[in-house]
Amino acid sequence: MSRLVIAPLLVVVTTAVLTLALGRRPRVQRATSVAGAVGYVGTVSVAVWALVLGETAPGAAVYQVGDWPAPFGITLVLDGLSAFMLTIAAGVGLASILFSVRYVTPENQRVYYHPLFHMLLAGVTGAFLTGDLFNLFVWFEVMLVASYVFVAFYGTDHATAASFRYLVMNVFGSALMLVAVGGLYATTGTLNMADMARRLATPDAYGIDPAPVVGLSALLLAVFALKAGLVPFQFWVPAAYTAAPAPVTAMLAGVTKKVGIYAIVRLYFTVFAAATIPVDVAGLTGTSPLDFLAPVLGAMGVASILVGGFGAIGRDRLGGVFAYSSIGQVGFIAIPVAIAAAADPTGALRGVAIAAALVFALHHALAKGLLFLSVGAVEDATKTDRLRDLGGLAGHSPVLSGAVFVGLCSLIGLPPLTGFFGKFLAFDAAIRGLASDSGLLSALALVALLLGAALTILYATRVWVGGFWGRETAAVEVASVESGQVTVLVALAAAVVLVGVGFDPIYRFAETAATAALDGEAYVDIVGLNGGDGA
Amino acid sequence: MTVPIVLVVSISLFLQGHNLPGGGFIGGVLTTAAFVLIYVAYNLDFLESGVLGREVETGTSIFEHRTVTAYRRMLLAGLVVVLGSGFGGMIIGDPFLTQGYVHLDGIPIYHEVELASALVFDLGVYLVVVGSLLTIVSVVSGE
Repeated sequence: MSRLVIAPLLVVVTTAVLTLALGRRPRVQRATSVAGAVGYVGTVSVAVWALVLGETAPGAAVYQVGDWPAPFGITLVLDGLSAFMLTIAAGVGLASILFSVRYVTPENQRVYYHPLFHMLLAGVTGAFLTGDLFNLFVWFEVMLVASYVFVAFYGTDHATAASFRYLVMNVFGSALMLVAVGGLYATTGTLNMADMARRLATPDAYGIDPAPVVGLSALLLAVFALKAGLVPFQFWVPAAYTAAPAPVTAMLAGVTKKVGIYAIVRLYFTVFAAATIPVDVAGLTGTSPLDFLAPVLGAMGVASILVGGFGAIGRDRLGGVFAYSSIGQVGFIAIPVAIAAAADPTGALRGVAIAAALVFALHHALAKGLLFLSVGAVEDATKTDRLRDLGGLAGHSPVLSGAVFVGLCSLIGLPPLTGFFGKFLAFDAAIRGLASDSGLLSALALVALLLGAALTILYATRVWVGGFWGRETAAVEVASVESGQVTVLVALAAAVVLVGVGFDPIYRFAETAATAALDGEAYVDIVGLNGGDGA
Repeated sequence: MTVPIVLVVSISLFLQGHNLPGGGFIGGVLTTAAFVLIYVAYNLDFLESGVLGREVETGTSIFEHRTVTAYRRMLLAGLVVVLGSGFGGMIIGDPFLTQGYVHLDGIPIYHEVELASALVFDLGVYLVVVGSLLTIVSVVSGE
């Protein structure tokens, strides 16, 4: 039973090695890659159903790698939150791989495209599953090493500059993360997240002084915000997203960004929330690391919405618009998380706000995955993604344009698409926050959300009017859209609609995930540390 | 003269790695250093033409170079060994990557030898490190 926890990871790593071995047979390699992605989706669904969602499911499961007991070995945990994130990764991963088969040229495929893609997916999977802080760092590195190559993939000036910037930023971020992880180990005496939560809840029993945790958690917050592309750590995003191949950008925006969000939620709400530490940093006071998280993350979210929204309006390329839009959308995810951090720990608002963030993450993964893949399809057909050179695509290739239209509407938040529920729940959380504490944070968040929604309508309209309506330009007239690529886009657009129409089970899944994220004690129980004699 | 010493030290580091400082990674890096010393002193083809006495075909790109192809295969073999050693324990019902060991007594000269399954995993790591580092070094130097 618990083997199912590690199954997705084994499937994806084995696929990576197999595709590497089959490099000399491109056709077989592509087939293996797709089979691996389908197998990944299969194992994730079976694991999520059997362990978290099914009627007889235990709700969560744990796997001790190498038979080393927690807290000494590496523990993998599949609970509601991990399950939700893995489901997002599986969906976007499969769509991107299928699109890649019809998108990546044979010469580019030879440069280890498929093995690297599966290593990227392996890094993401490991980060979502691990219950060990140092292991989280390792999976971040796996993910980053693969994405460095992808950003530099086309070897143009633009790609080389973008990848160098991305590399320097992230090497610096990784060093900071290592310092923070080392500091937490020195402070709490453990790297196992469940053990850390237990020790922080009762520091006296373990003879530790948790005071440094606030500062160290702030370091981690900076690193995770860098991964998520939140302002002020956003400036690698536009260059990297426009330089990487389109299916990889869909993965980077849809899934790897969410790893940063996941890490913030997991560490702050499951692990650090247990601690009672007097906080007094730069005018912020409180008794928990969450009191520090709330205003800082809230400010980052507000700034991201503004920078992303205004940036997207000014771009002259499709890829650029969506890259800036990604920065703004992560702000929409960060604000509910900040509201949850500010909320009363025992109230219902915290769970509602986390669920809102998760639903928005799902919406962003689907819609942005769809839109970045469409940028790839448009670029493949017309050889440009400059808005000035595009126009009339709606008449030229209605199916492709229809899929883009669904994606844009979801971005704006029209019912009954997924994006409507994402935005609705984010606003709901902000209004409830305002009602419960009528604080500055919730009010500011509400204004930013409103402004962000208006900006989204502006740039989405601009993309549609500039690229798809109007007279066909020269580039569009000669364009021929690849039907295989369009099939993937239509499938993703259908997913955006279906998730919105059948939203009830999805919301219950998000609630399960939020409950798992907030229940630190249950997390300690799953890992099997409660009832022991400790240390 | 230093190259054989470096190689011996690297192999001893590799063999003791599962319960003393050392292991596949550090042994692999040291082995790479020995090869790089030769490449710096002579050139990429010296091992084949000077030591093994083979003909070296020239003219193809560095990615098709026979040495580089061999290193790439080594990297792949290492990955397969690592995965295989992880799956090995699963066949008999243990979790992924579970390792075991046996003590063999009465062996001539050594008397007692500890055979650890972790050595197989380390061998995989060793092959991955040597293969990937030498691929990088030879391709970058060939540019």
